[in-house]
Amino acid sequence: MTTLDWVVLFATLTVIVGYGLYRSRGSDTVDRFLLAGKTMPWYAMALSIMATQASAVTFISTTGQAYVDGMRFVQFYFGLPIAMVILCATVVPVFHRAKVFTAYEYLEQRFDTKTRALASIIFLCQRGLSAGLTLYAPAIVLSVILGWPERATIFLMGVTVITYTTLGGVKAVTWSDVQQMCIIFIGLIIALVTLIHLLPASISFPDALYLAGAAGRLNAVTTNFNWDDQFTLWSGLIGGTFLFLSYFGCDQSQVQRYLTGKSIAQSRLSLIFNAVAKIPMQFFILFIGAMVFIFHLFVTPPILYEKAALDRIETVAAYQPVADSYARAFEQRRKAALSLIDAHHAHDAATERTEVEAYRQAQRGIEDARRQASRLVETTTGEQKFSDTNYIFLSFVTKYLPAGLVGLIIAVIFAATMSASAGEINSLATVTMVDLYRRYFHRLGSDHHYLMASRWATIFWGAYAVIFAGWGRKLGSLIVAVNVVGSLFYGSLLGVFALAFFFRRVGGTAAFFGMLAGEAAIFWAFFFTKISFLWYNVLGCAVVIATALVITRIQPGERRDVSTPNMLSESQ
Amino acid sequence: MADPREVHDEPPPFLGTWRRVYWAVVIYLAVIIAACYGFTRALE
Repeated sequence: MTTLDWVVLFATLTVIVGYGLYRSRGSDTVDRFLLAGKTMPWYAMALSIMATQASAVTFISTTGQAYVDGMRFVQFYFGLPIAMVILCATVVPVFHRAKVFTAYEYLEQRFDTKTRALASIIFLCQRGLSAGLTLYAPAIVLSVILGWPERATIFLMGVTVITYTTLGGVKAVTWSDVQQMCIIFIGLIIALVTLIHLLPASISFPDALYLAGAAGRLNAVTTNFNWDDQFTLWSGLIGGTFLFLSYFGCDQSQVQRYLTGKSIAQSRLSLIFNAVAKIPMQFFILFIGAMVFIFHLFVTPPILYEKAALDRIETVAAYQPVADSYARAFEQRRKAALSLIDAHHAHDAATERTEVEAYRQAQRGIEDARRQASRLVETTTGEQKFSDTNYIFLSFVTKYLPAGLVGLIIAVIFAATMSASAGEINSLATVTMVDLYRRYFHRLGSDHHYLMASRWATIFWGAYAVIFAGWGRKLGSLIVAVNVVGSLFYGSLLGVFALAFFFRRVGGTAAFFGMLAGEAAIFWAFFFTKISFLWYNVLGCAVVIATALVITRIQPGERRDVSTPNMLSESQ
Repeated sequence: MADPREVHDEPPPFLGTWRRVYWAVVIYLAVIIAACYGFTRALE
């Protein structure tokens, strides 16, 4: 990084944090600290929701995903608009009217204390685990690409997040998120424009699209049905809907964003904005990855993007033949790409078909060589399932983007990490204080006492995330499973909220045992089947509901008619 | 005495009712999926 990059990076981060703290003045009561006194406008909540969901992995990994596998990942988000509509019509007005700080507080109003406690603990386990990974994942990539010390990077990001989250509460988190999303949008647009500008003069933008499509990098929709395939139209629409219902409806890290709204309408608008904007945003990020692929048709990419892994295998005898075959395949692919474009421009269908096949054959040669190099890493280091997907985009950024822009993209990675991490720490602290400390340990404290408890809880969870991230290297493959972790817990949370909203006869005991049965079913699917993780939410939710209904049928229990208004009347 | 933080529902700033907004989102999703499908088929 040049001096200009460092200036851009630090100036950007200082402005983001400074502005967030400036806007959070007056967060001196529990209500203001945890819910911003319910004063937030829809656009701030909308960008905060988006920023909390988009961690650094979204930008680092999604671009790499498009590079190696095309744009199929966009289908993962097809269920999001459906989930948002359902939540706007059901959950948002109920939570607002129940005047709760957390989603789980509502479960006590509707069911009983044990159901609320179990849901809170499930949330703390799941979100606490991912809080460390949110900090660790970008730190490891930055350390490999830029040589930054891993723990120092984690510490810098963690302490910054803890500082503004502890001082300014949810207001600081939300307004910082707004700035962070603006920086992310600006950085990504500039990156794509620069990328297209870096393509050879003989390759126009339509040519680039044509070559990316011919290599299968623009395959946004897959209509075949396969239980094991993570990204198809059907898994996205059905599994994705359940996943996003769980994430936005039952996960306090998201619920807390829209509970800060001035009104039900403002909260609904923030979710509707995400329903509309999220798919195009993901499409755009994936498209950047596809364009990096096109750039590397003409500029030789390294055989492996993780330099440390490449350094380790370069001394192995078996490496040289693999490197030679990679170099030959690259040259064949470059020539085939140029010949294909010529045939395409000449509208010569027969030649075009032949050239497409030659181009794809050369691409298979590249993929074979990369696979062999990955296997060499696995045999040399003992690492299982080696993948360098997360290093592709930042490797391109640091090598080929101009000074200043590198600093901006690194700022994007920092911003994404801090926004996701701040939302997590803020929500973990809220659940700890409201659902556990205030409920079970200190029921009659003053507002100031609970404000200080919230701040201490924020520091605790921030420190926990930093320490957990510091041990991240020992966690290894858990990084890959970051999305799976959420799905191990979301299904049962979604099930219990579905019971609360739609099954009025079900009481607390049935809901409680339903949740336990749902968790058991999800863990069974995780350990003993190959079902894609997107289906865990469907399974868990169904088992919770079925078990609770059976228990209610056998032993009709208590029921509480609290805040379960007619949902349809809310949607007028 | 009324709760100063009484929660009021309001109509959306566009399309008149929330029901219409929800239908607009569903139609938008259908258009997006169709566009992605067309994009895939046109460029594969």
